[in-house]
Amino acid sequence: MIDAANNELALDINRISVRYDGRWVLRDFSLRLAQGEKLTLTGPSGVGKTTILRCVLGLVQPDHGAIRINGQLLNEYHVWNIRRQLAYVAQEPNLGSGPTRDVLERPFAFRANSALKNNLHRVPELFDRFLLPHHLLDKDITNLSGGEKQRIALISAILLERPIILLDEASSALDADSKRAVIDYIRQVPDLTVLAVAHDDEWQAFADRTISLTSPKVLLHE
Amino acid sequence: MNDIININISGMIVGYILLLVPLAIILYQRVPILKDTAIALVRMTVQLLFVGFYLQYLFKLNNVWLNLLWLLVMMVVADGSIIRGCRLRASCFAIPVFIALFIGTAIPVLVFVGIILRRPDLLDAQYAIPIGGMVLGNCLRADIIGLHGFYESIRTHEKAYHHTLAQGARLQEAIAPYVRDALQSALMPTVASMAVIGLVALPGMMTGTVLAGANPMIAIKYQIIIMVGIFTGTTITVFAAIRFTTKNCFNPFGVLDRTIFRSK
Repeated sequence: MIDAANNELALDINRISVRYDGRWVLRDFSLRLAQGEKLTLTGPSGVGKTTILRCVLGLVQPDHGAIRINGQLLNEYHVWNIRRQLAYVAQEPNLGSGPTRDVLERPFAFRANSALKNNLHRVPELFDRFLLPHHLLDKDITNLSGGEKQRIALISAILLERPIILLDEASSALDADSKRAVIDYIRQVPDLTVLAVAHDDEWQAFADRTISLTSPKVLLHE
Repeated sequence: MNDIININISGMIVGYILLLVPLAIILYQRVPILKDTAIALVRMTVQLLFVGFYLQYLFKLNNVWLNLLWLLVMMVVADGSIIRGCRLRASCFAIPVFIALFIGTAIPVLVFVGIILRRPDLLDAQYAIPIGGMVLGNCLRADIIGLHGFYESIRTHEKAYHHTLAQGARLQEAIAPYVRDALQSALMPTVASMAVIGLVALPGMMTGTVLAGANPMIAIKYQIIIMVGIFTGTTITVFAAIRFTTKNCFNPFGVLDRTIFRSK
């Protein structure tokens, strides 16, 4: 197990609170993750797990508290640079439309990723690794199954070479073999910091630490 | 060419009697647009009569400032129609959409009147008012399609949009596909009408010019230039409206502000 206090922090969430429509979905939540640490968040639905990931991505702004990624404060000035250090795989990835090959190439058209375009040569190897048939590259992404989309989203995230990966039930639609392939791959990248939201035992076994969010984090707004 | 024949009161009455045919069909088929049709007909008549009387004085006076004021009034009305049509919040959209309309209308009008027709007075009522009105009318339609399509599409595909941001896209990179789709939807009607003009339909401006006694070739040349002006104006106004409104409608983190939509 990696001790977050003794390593440079990849992620430092300090007492964030988030409110939707007057209702607190997260209150005073804190979490510190060392570089290379792999942590799994568990807890019942509606407890705010996905909200935490969305806050880290700068897609939801907490009402209180602060988030630092690799020492940099997440605010309106740094968010664009911070997102270049993060990769995100959603439970039901919405990757747009078009052939899978185009979907995988699309992020490299952004200035932030243009230098990484050569990583596309890894696509066949990653398809093999995650048990995906190569002909899916020519299929429209919208016609793929949930499990296939999850693995494509994961490949897309890996190709971007981010130091921190956020996984939101990213293997929920995978069969046992595919899930093992995904977990094995992530486990063998020592420098990769992982914050995973997951329910199953395999992810909990994979992680250096597991945090269970419970209902006291969900408080009604007075 | 012949002088234009005026339509007298009895002619106008005959014209309105023609409406009995569509109204009978609407009633017979119980199409639920009778009330809307009646309101639209009354509005059309009152508005056009009012404009007719007003334009008579405007043309007679031909005062630059009065002409400019009239064009600005038309833009304000168009601005309000666009924001209502898109169901968007006026406080975020009124000023940027107005500026977009102003630029989209001013460029074709100034090029048409100043460079092509070489009129010494750029805001000559005879040219600036009808050309400005035609360009503006098309800008209004295009802006409603373009702005509504752009913001609704991002709202509908919010997950995909957020995923693009999460992949490291800057705001302009993330909205680029939605801008592209919005421009395509907004410009397609003009592109389609350019493609069939003269074959399927004779446009209103050309018909009006011919009816007014002009040589058809002159009317056609005017029509070509006005179509180019409309296409140019609509493209500029939709692009500018999207660009100018994004500053107010996305937060500094690139997330769409959902309060810009008015509830239905």
